[in-house]
Amino acid sequence: MTGFRLDKGGLIDRTTTLNFSFDGKVFTGFQGDTLASALIANNVHLMGRSFKYHRPRGVISAGSSEPNALVTLREGGRQEANTRATMVELYDGLAARSQNRWPSLNFDVGAVNSLASHMFVAGFYYKTFMWPKSFWEKIYEPLIRRAAGLGHASKEADPDKYEKAYAHCDLLIIGSGPTGLMAALTAARAGVRIILADESAALGGSLLNENEEIDSVSGLDWALAALSELRSLPNVTLMPRTTVFGWYDGNVFGAVERVNDHVAEPSPYEPRQRYTRIFARRAVMATGAEERPIVFGGNDVPGVMLASAMRTYANRYAAAAGKSIVVFTNNDSGKRTASDLRRAGVHVEAIIDSRKTAHLIVDVKGGKRVTGVELGNHRSIPCDAVAMSGGWSPIVNLMCHRGAKPLWNESIAGFVPPDVGSAFVAAGSAAGHMLLSECLADGARAGTMKGRVPAVPKCRDERFAVTPLWWVKESTGKAFVDYQNDATAKDLPLAAREGYRDIELAKRYTTAGMATDQGKLGNVNAIAILADATGRTMDQVGTTTFRPYYTPVSFGALAGPFVRHHFQPVRKTPLHDWAYELGATFVEAGLWMRSSWFPMDGEDWLAAATREVLATRSGVGICDVSTLGKIDVQGPDATEFLNRLYCNTFSTLAAGRARYGLMLREDGIVFDDGTTSRLAEDHFLMTTTTANAARVMAHMEFCHQAHWPDLDVQYVSVTEQWGQMAIAGPKARATLQKIVDDITLDDTSFPYLAARPVSILGGMQARLFRISFSGEHAYELAVPADYGSMVARAVMQAGQEFGITPYGVEALSIMRIEKGHVAGGELNGTTTAGDLGLGKMMSTKKDYVGRMMAQREGLQDPNRQCVVGIRPYDPKGKIRSGAHILNKGDAASMAADQGYISSVAWSPMLEMWVGLALVANGRSRHGEIVKLFDGIRNTLTYGVICDPVHYDRENIKLHA
Amino acid sequence: MPDLFIRVSPLSDIAIQGRFGADHGVPGVMFSLPAPSHMVTVIARKGKAKALAQALKNFDARWAGPDQYFVWGEPYETVSGKLKGLASCSDQSHGRVVIGIVGPHVRQVLAKGSPIDFHPAEFPVGKSALTQMAHVGVHVTRVGADAFEISVFRGFSESFWEWITEQAEEFGYQVT
Repeated sequence: MTGFRLDKGGLIDRTTTLNFSFDGKVFTGFQGDTLASALIANNVHLMGRSFKYHRPRGVISAGSSEPNALVTLREGGRQEANTRATMVELYDGLAARSQNRWPSLNFDVGAVNSLASHMFVAGFYYKTFMWPKSFWEKIYEPLIRRAAGLGHASKEADPDKYEKAYAHCDLLIIGSGPTGLMAALTAARAGVRIILADESAALGGSLLNENEEIDSVSGLDWALAALSELRSLPNVTLMPRTTVFGWYDGNVFGAVERVNDHVAEPSPYEPRQRYTRIFARRAVMATGAEERPIVFGGNDVPGVMLASAMRTYANRYAAAAGKSIVVFTNNDSGKRTASDLRRAGVHVEAIIDSRKTAHLIVDVKGGKRVTGVELGNHRSIPCDAVAMSGGWSPIVNLMCHRGAKPLWNESIAGFVPPDVGSAFVAAGSAAGHMLLSECLADGARAGTMKGRVPAVPKCRDERFAVTPLWWVKESTGKAFVDYQNDATAKDLPLAAREGYRDIELAKRYTTAGMATDQGKLGNVNAIAILADATGRTMDQVGTTTFRPYYTPVSFGALAGPFVRHHFQPVRKTPLHDWAYELGATFVEAGLWMRSSWFPMDGEDWLAAATREVLATRSGVGICDVSTLGKIDVQGPDATEFLNRLYCNTFSTLAAGRARYGLMLREDGIVFDDGTTSRLAEDHFLMTTTTANAARVMAHMEFCHQAHWPDLDVQYVSVTEQWGQMAIAGPKARATLQKIVDDITLDDTSFPYLAARPVSILGGMQARLFRISFSGEHAYELAVPADYGSMVARAVMQAGQEFGITPYGVEALSIMRIEKGHVAGGELNGTTTAGDLGLGKMMSTKKDYVGRMMAQREGLQDPNRQCVVGIRPYDPKGKIRSGAHILNKGDAASMAADQGYISSVAWSPMLEMWVGLALVANGRSRHGEIVKLFDGIRNTLTYGVICDPVHYDRENIKLHA
Repeated sequence: MPDLFIRVSPLSDIAIQGRFGADHGVPGVMFSLPAPSHMVTVIARKGKAKALAQALKNFDARWAGPDQYFVWGEPYETVSGKLKGLASCSDQSHGRVVIGIVGPHVRQVLAKGSPIDFHPAEFPVGKSALTQMAHVGVHVTRVGADAFEISVFRGFSESFWEWITEQAEEFGYQVT
C-alpha cells in the first residue's frame, strides 16, 4: 500500500486518472471514485465544519445518508451547495469547496462556539434570544443566519436544462442490491414491464461494496451477470443515478435522475437532472438497511466512520481509511469489517465488541484527525481511524410517506416497515431480513407477479446478530446523536426534562433529525436515548414523521423546463401577425397576447389610445376580439339549455339574430356576459368574456351532466376556429361593404343585432354580427383562423380611404367606460344583475341558474352598491381606480365607506377623466358630490356621481 | 372555398426544415407538419352514440371524449351533411394545428409531456387520447408503431412547438 490507495482491487479504473480540486488544492483520483473516496485515498479526512460548534468533521458514511461531508460544487450559475461528497462522482476538473468555515477549513474562527458550548445547548435559540422581542428580527436572527447555516446558493441563473417526465411499469423496484436484482430478474424473465431504479451511479447495491458469494461466484460477478441479462430484455428499464424520493397516492413515485451531474458541463441538448413521476402497478422497496453510529465521546472526529463505509471504501474504491484501525461494534458487522480490512492489507489494532467486553470506547482522541481511543478502563489505543457499528436500520422511509408508522423489531434492533398493502411491499434487509439468502428469497417472492416463486441461487450468509448499545454514558467528550445539527446525547434527556417528551417535540427542541440528512443515521439512537430517559420502550416513543423527499431535490428538477419564457404557454390570436406588423404593443390577458395599443412616432400608451378612440369615433377603427370565448351550442334542446343557463330568455331569439345574455352563478351573483347568436333553429354561437371562457365551459358541462342530463344538447369550444375583428365607427358600414359579397349592409338587410353567415372577398365564408361594445355603429367579423391576418389586412385596405385605425384593448376599454358598459371591474364576483343596472334582464317567466338565490333579501337590498358613473368635481382633476367614496362631510373610515371606483379612463370625447363606481344606493344619488379617498396615494378629492353612460346616452351613434 | 384562399399555418415561419439537436446518427424523431386540412368535432346526439359510431366507420374518426370524435380530412359541410340527425358537428379545421412525430424515441419524447402510458400494449395503433403536455391541452393518436399525430389549439401551437422540439434535442430530430 502506497499512501492510502490500496495496491489492488476496487471498482476503479486505474488507467483513467482524474484531476480535481478541494478548497483550491489539486488532487488526483480515478474513474469510478466518489469525491469522498478520492479524498480518503489522498488522506484527506477533514471535509467540513459542523453546523453549531464548527467542529472539524470528516466523512461518516459511503452513501446518501452522509451528514458531514457536505461540499459546494462548481462555480457561478452551476454552483451547488450541500452536496454529499459520498454521492459525488469524480470527474476531471471537478472543483469542490468545504462549507461553513471562515476563513479556512483548517482554521475556523467559528470554532470558538465550541468553547461557549454551554450557551448553545438544545433550545438555545428559544432561550437566549427571546428578549427584547424586537431584537429577534433585527439582530439575533440575521446574526444566527450568518453564523450558522450550511452552503450558499449562487445568485446567478442556472445555465443548465432540467426536464420532467412520466414513466409507467408493472413493477417498480427501488434498490438494485441482491434483493432488487433478484426481484428484477424474476419479474423480467416473466415478461413483466419493470423499472429498476437506484440512487447510485452503478447498479448492484451492496454487492459492489461487500465480499459475498452467490451461485459459486463472487457477489459482484453475479450482479454483473444479472445486470447484463436485464439490459438485454426489452421489458426492462434500468435507471441508475435515480433517487426515488417519494411515494404518493395512486402508487405514484417521485424520482429524480441525475443525468449529467457526473460531467463537468452537460451537453447543450441534455438536461442536468430529470424529474420523473413513475406510475407503478406494484412496487418493491428493496432499499436495504443503513448502518448506525454508536453514540460515544468524540464519535465525530475525522477518521471515525461507519464500519460498513470503511469496508466499502476498501472493497469498492481501494481506499484505506487509515493505517491502523480500531473497530467498535455491538454486532457482527465489526468482525466482518476487520476481516475485509485485513484482507486488503490494512492493520486492525483492536476490535471492541460491546457484547464481549465491558471496556468500551469512552473517548476518541484527536482534533482534525483521530490519534487514538480511550477505553472505559483508561487504556489508550493509538490508531488513526475508528470503524463503528451500532446495528442496522432498515431504510423504511418511502413506505411511511403516506402516514403509516414503522414498527420496532427487537430481534434486529431496528424499525421495520409497516404493511401498506400488496401494491407496495418491502423485501430483503429493508424488510428486516438481514441475511443474504433471505434477501434473494424475498426478492424472488416480490418479483413474482403470479404463479410459483422460482428457486433462488445458493449463497454464503454472513452472521447477523446484534445486542443494542446506544450511548456510552461514561463518555467525557461530546457524544453526537445527530452530526449535522450538532445534537448530542445529553440534549435528549434535557428535552425530556423540559417537557418535550414526545419524539416530534424533542426533534424540534434538539433539532436532531432535521436538515439535509433528516436523521438517517442518528434518529434511532435519539429515539433510544429518549426512551431510556423517559422509561419508555422504542415502540412507545416511536419515530418522527417520514415525509418526501428522501434526499434533497433541486428546485431546478421540480421546475423542469417551465422556466423563463416557458414558464407558461403563450397563446396568440389569429390576428397576431397583422397586429405585430403594425407595431402593436401586446399585453398578457390570461395566456393570450392581446394587442394593447398601436403607438405611432413615440406615442405613449395614453396618447396612442386617445388617438385610436378619436379615429374610431370619428371614422372607423378595427380591433382584434378573437380572444372572446366562443362556444358552439347545438341540438334539439339547445334553446332550453340556454334559457336555463342565462337569466334572460333565448327561446324568443330568431335565427340570424344576436342577443346580449347575462349568466348568474348558482348563488345569484353575476357570472359572465356576452352575446349569443342563433345561427339556425338548433344551432347557437355563445360568446363569453376572455377571462371566463374555460370557466363557462366547465359550468355548462356541470349543469348538463349533473342537473339536466335529459337535455339533448351538444356544445364545444370553437374559440380557436375563428379570427374575429370588431370594425367600429361611422364609416364601419362603408368599409365592410367593400369586402362583403352579394349583400347590401343597410338597416333593413342587416339591422342592429343581425348575425349571419356572409361571403367576403369573393367567396370566403365568414360570419358577420352587428354588435357593439364601443357604442359606435359596429360589426364583428369572424373568419376561419388561418385567414385572420389576411382578412384584417384586407379590411385595413378597404378602410384606408376612411382613415381606418387599428385600436387595442386600451382604446376598447376607454370606449366601454365612456359608454358605461360593465366589464371585469364590475363583473367582479360580488355584483348582482340589479347592481349592474341589468335587473330587468332577469326573466320572471322561466327558471334559470341563480334565480332562487338572487331573490334573497340581501341581494335585493336597495342600499346595495350599484354601478354609477363618477367624474371629478373639478373637470380638470383626476380620479383613480380603487379610490373609496365617502359622503361629502365624512372623514375616511371603514364605517363611512359608500363604495369605490371600479374603472376609470381619460375620455378623449369629454376631455376629462370619467369612471364607473359601485356606490351604496347609487342610482338615486346621481348629481351628489362625494369625497374620493385614495388610501394608497393618500389623496382626498371631490367627485360627482352621475349616470354611468358618459357618452351618447341616446345611442344615436349606435344606430346611425 | 379551399382553393381560393391560401391557408397559413401559424407554424409556417417557425418549423424550419432540417436536422437539429444531438447527432447520434439516425434522428431520434422526425417532426412533420401536414398541409392544413379539415377537422370536425362530432358529438353524438342523445341516444345516437351507437349509430354514430357505426356511421363513423367510413371516416377517419378519432375518439375525443365520451361519444365525441374528431373527424379528419373531410370538410365540415360533408361531415355534417352525412351525420345529420346523429350528431352535432363543429368545424375545427382552422382551430387546431397538427404535428406528426415519428421515430425510435417518440415515446420518450411524449413521456416528457403526458402522464399517459404510450406503451403499445396500453396504447395501440388507432387509439387516441386527450391529455396535457407542457400545460397545453393536446389530442394525440397513435398512427403507427413509432408514429403519432398530435393536434393542439392553434393559439398554443408556437409555444408547444418550441417545447416539444426542445424535448427531442437529446435524441436529435429532423423537421420535414
